[in-house]
Amino acid sequence: MSQQKTPAPKAASETQLVARAQRGDEQAFAALFEIHKRRVYSLCLRMTGNTAEAEDLTQEAFLQLFRKISTFRGESAFSTWLHRLAVNVVLMHLRKKGLQQVSLDEVDSCQDEPVKRDYGDNDRRLMGSVDRISLSRAIADLPPGYRTVFVLHDVEGYEHNEIAEIMNCSVGNSKSQLHKARMKLRDWLRQNEGLMTSGEPVISDQAPTER
Amino acid sequence: MSETRHDSSAACYRFELELQAYMEGENKPFVLAHIRECAFCRVVVEDLEALRAAVRELPLEEPSAAVWSNIRAQLATAGAFAEKAGFWSWFSQLDFLRRPIPVAAFACMVALGCLLTAPRNYPEQDSTSALTATARRTAVRSMGFMGDNEALERVVRELEATFRAREGSLAPDVKTTYENSLLSLDTSIRECSDSLQREPGNSLAHEYLLAAYSQKAEVLSSALEFDEGR
Repeated sequence: MSQQKTPAPKAASETQLVARAQRGDEQAFAALFEIHKRRVYSLCLRMTGNTAEAEDLTQEAFLQLFRKISTFRGESAFSTWLHRLAVNVVLMHLRKKGLQQVSLDEVDSCQDEPVKRDYGDNDRRLMGSVDRISLSRAIADLPPGYRTVFVLHDVEGYEHNEIAEIMNCSVGNSKSQLHKARMKLRDWLRQNEGLMTSGEPVISDQAPTER
Repeated sequence: MSETRHDSSAACYRFELELQAYMEGENKPFVLAHIRECAFCRVVVEDLEALRAAVRELPLEEPSAAVWSNIRAQLATAGAFAEKAGFWSWFSQLDFLRRPIPVAAFACMVALGCLLTAPRNYPEQDSTSALTATARRTAVRSMGFMGDNEALERVVRELEATFRAREGSLAPDVKTTYENSLLSLDTSIRECSDSLQREPGNSLAHEYLLAAYSQKAEVLSSALEFDEGR
């Protein structure tokens, strides 16, 4: 995943920064914020599709981090721990807003549409260079349940069993939502002509490798 | 290759049933065989693979500077950090600064004050460089908050001209760091502008464009501040 480079704090390793932040060191906490702010904000932005909400949630995630950092025992990577904390903050927010994530079953039963094939020119396909703005917009336009599973799995790299645990649903449900989210995104991008370019087929003989 | 939607067969139906498992990495010989023969189903798989690749390349987004200001203010108010009397303890007493909108309004007022009280005899072509680094940053942020795209673009152009005039005096490693940041932001600006040209009503692209300009102005201000501070 590419990211914008800014001067990073060099003085201490992350472990040292965490230890200092646990003792209430402001500079260490600021450095941890600087290191992780983009990943946390991007997660919040993609799960909500709204910049103002994403900034509020980023703020809330780091405030919670400060409150809970003393409980971090180093059993997992700090970034993994922080990331999970941020996911919980966003899910809690979405639940409060009434966008019940586990209305997945409801979404599931009413949206079993056949694969759309009638986009006109069957030689045209979405290539690797899908416009990132349009892709972000398409993700933001997904129904909340689909969006959450899609972002957690395809963007953030969570496994289905982790998503099932986070969202209190079955692994099968998570897989099904992900597939439908991908198909919806494909439809969205297909309907936007500017995104389609023609090119050579990119089919391999093997099933796609999961992350 | 001459199929149409109406030719969807039992094989295509089976493909649809097995597609999810295939995309999850399961071995599905039927899917592999079918997409060699059916152009429509092949394009579906290619699209999904292209989509997955594109998602992996999504860049991380940058939150605005107000996020840290708000966090810092809340933690300082709660006495979370070892107390250091000074600017932050005064700042943290301003309750209204904890929310983005009052912060934006406050920044606008400060920026307006800076602009109104700044001496007027600066050379026309270098107005931004004549401001102090703090006033420059505040003005830039307020333009971002107000969504004043054109003003922000103009300020960025002026800051860039000043930066280019002074970049020779920066240490090579410092210069490279700033250049890398600027390059990345220029790419974002170009992508957003292209997107807006194609779709002028795209509010997300507009938001990203403003954010990219604001960040570029911040980077340039920081570079000039660094240069002035030496």
